[in-house]
Amino acid sequence: MQNPTGGFGGGHGQISHLAGSYAAVLALALVGGEDAFALVDREAMWRWLGRLKQSDGGFSVTEGGEEDVRGAYCAATIISLLDLPLTLPHDANKAREAGFKTLTDGLAEYLSRCQSFEGGISGSPGVEAHGAYAFCALACLSILGPPEETIPRHMNIPLLLSWLSARQYAPEGGFSGRTNKLVDGCYSHWVGGCWPLLQSALDGKPQSSGAPPRTVGNLYSREGLDRYILGCCQSPSGGLRDKPGKSPDSYHTCYVLTGLSATQHHHYRTNTSITSSDNFASAFSWQSSPVRTDDNVYDKADRLVAFHPLFVIPHQAAANMRLWCEGQPIAI
Amino acid sequence: MAEGYANDPEWADITPIELNDGSDSGAMPLATIAYPSEYLEATSYLRAVMAANEMSERALNLTKDVISMNPAHYTVWIYRARILFALDKDLIEELNWLNGVSLKYLKNYQIWHHRQVLISSQTHFPSMPAKEPDFLMEMFAQDSKNYHVWTYRHWLVRHFKLWDSPRELEDVEALIKADVRNNSAWNHRYMLRFGPRDDVPDAGMVNAGNADISPEEKGRLPVVDEDLVDAELKFAQEQIVRAPENRSPWWYARGALRAAGRGLGEWEGFVGKFVDGDVVKSSHAVEWLADVYAEAEKVKAVEMLTMLKEKYDPIRKNYWDYRIRQLEEVA
Repeated sequence: MQNPTGGFGGGHGQISHLAGSYAAVLALALVGGEDAFALVDREAMWRWLGRLKQSDGGFSVTEGGEEDVRGAYCAATIISLLDLPLTLPHDANKAREAGFKTLTDGLAEYLSRCQSFEGGISGSPGVEAHGAYAFCALACLSILGPPEETIPRHMNIPLLLSWLSARQYAPEGGFSGRTNKLVDGCYSHWVGGCWPLLQSALDGKPQSSGAPPRTVGNLYSREGLDRYILGCCQSPSGGLRDKPGKSPDSYHTCYVLTGLSATQHHHYRTNTSITSSDNFASAFSWQSSPVRTDDNVYDKADRLVAFHPLFVIPHQAAANMRLWCEGQPIAI
Repeated sequence: MAEGYANDPEWADITPIELNDGSDSGAMPLATIAYPSEYLEATSYLRAVMAANEMSERALNLTKDVISMNPAHYTVWIYRARILFALDKDLIEELNWLNGVSLKYLKNYQIWHHRQVLISSQTHFPSMPAKEPDFLMEMFAQDSKNYHVWTYRHWLVRHFKLWDSPRELEDVEALIKADVRNNSAWNHRYMLRFGPRDDVPDAGMVNAGNADISPEEKGRLPVVDEDLVDAELKFAQEQIVRAPENRSPWWYARGALRAAGRGLGEWEGFVGKFVDGDVVKSSHAVEWLADVYAEAEKVKAVEMLTMLKEKYDPIRKNYWDYRIRQLEEVA
């Protein structure tokens, strides 16, 4: 499925696209094992990413396609999981003309320009703050470096915190994606997934023991979100949905589930990374522990596995792919 | 194209490239997509003409056929744009066709990027096509918060330098008048009034994306037109009175004051009208007062935040508690 001159397309005969490439790489990580990892032509992927890199630091989703924060997050995920070289390929013309030396130069500054006056983050600079793009931007910043460094350096934290907190509504308990829009189950992931990243940024540098650090704690209502997910997002015919009255689909099923998992675990960073490389070490230093309180509104049997808060696949799947790729450095 | 491509003499010289989903290698596709046969045939011919890089009228018609069946097929849009420029087609005619497609498929990235690619052509469009704002308002009549359309409209403002265009502000005002809670329109207004202009890189706030400037300074204008700020604050107050629990104008006003480097204190009198002892008409007013008091009267600030936590916005209890802890730590 990978195109010889680039990444993965959405289907046979389709040009390479970052969303499809992101999905393909994560799917291979989930399958796991050398046979799956070796399927990716990492050098072609690296060259193609260079051509997608734009003069403002961001990435377009496909050659000739639109540029937005999805592109930034998908690119950072692919670069870090596949341990691609950071050096710009020779034909990364737009990025080279802008004076960039690496695939990640200018990327955090691009994301900084996506923060809106409300405090949230938009799909591209100057547009309305939106929950899904906020996750893409915060996860991308947290891949680029430790969140306690990258997030405060590029985001106005009090504004961001206020906007993110205002996404949770009563009486629903669930999250909306934008100011004055309705609650939707999929933001359980997009907005819910921002919280561990922002909380980690506020917690600061991880402590030396492996124990969970002193923490600002949980800044949203887990119970509210759990109740919305369990009470409103389950379709009687199976699958998960936006809200009652809507049909379930695979998109909402995926993101309501990952949102539920996020409410059920504390995610925190440690000072040890599975990688010995300097590149993206902090992205591979996350751990989690189950939330244990007496007032959990879900049954024991409904506790999901913990997902990696940046790559949103099981921790071990991300670690295995990264370590295998580190063992196969690309000669450039 | 009811008869299909296989029986059409115009396509007789093309050998279609059948869909390869990997099953010929013996692999079992995990989730086979049930494509309709018309779509399978059209995309087989699409793969063939794309492989030959054909720039022709028939290929252009084929892209239209595929788009009509799957407007999210991003590859066909990029191919279509290349053919349009290669054959030097009438782009106004293309826009007219695109308008219909846009009104039919509201949630779609490709349609709006295609429009941006066309309008980006300086040779065809040295200035904005006159009907563009009318069409965008037609789109907003379908969904006044359509993210793709607003993203495009923001790009249009930057591309043609429309910050002071009367039409931009008229449309924003009409949309806010129709729905005072239209936060997308409020965002557009902020960008017209306080966003970066001209050669300054695009950003949601000025002073962003510069390593030498702290994020605390985001949104702070280097040169302030105080009359404009006052007019915007007056506009925000008029809209707040219409619906006091509407977050949009409250946060717009904060953005305007931030742009001007003015504190929240100057609104204390106005905001006080919404908080009269136990009679609270807006939780945003309570939050505003908390921020004003945080400067010098921390006990009163904590009192306001406690009201939010206990009575007016308890779903956000943990956040209000965090704000209270922060005040107590500083004190």
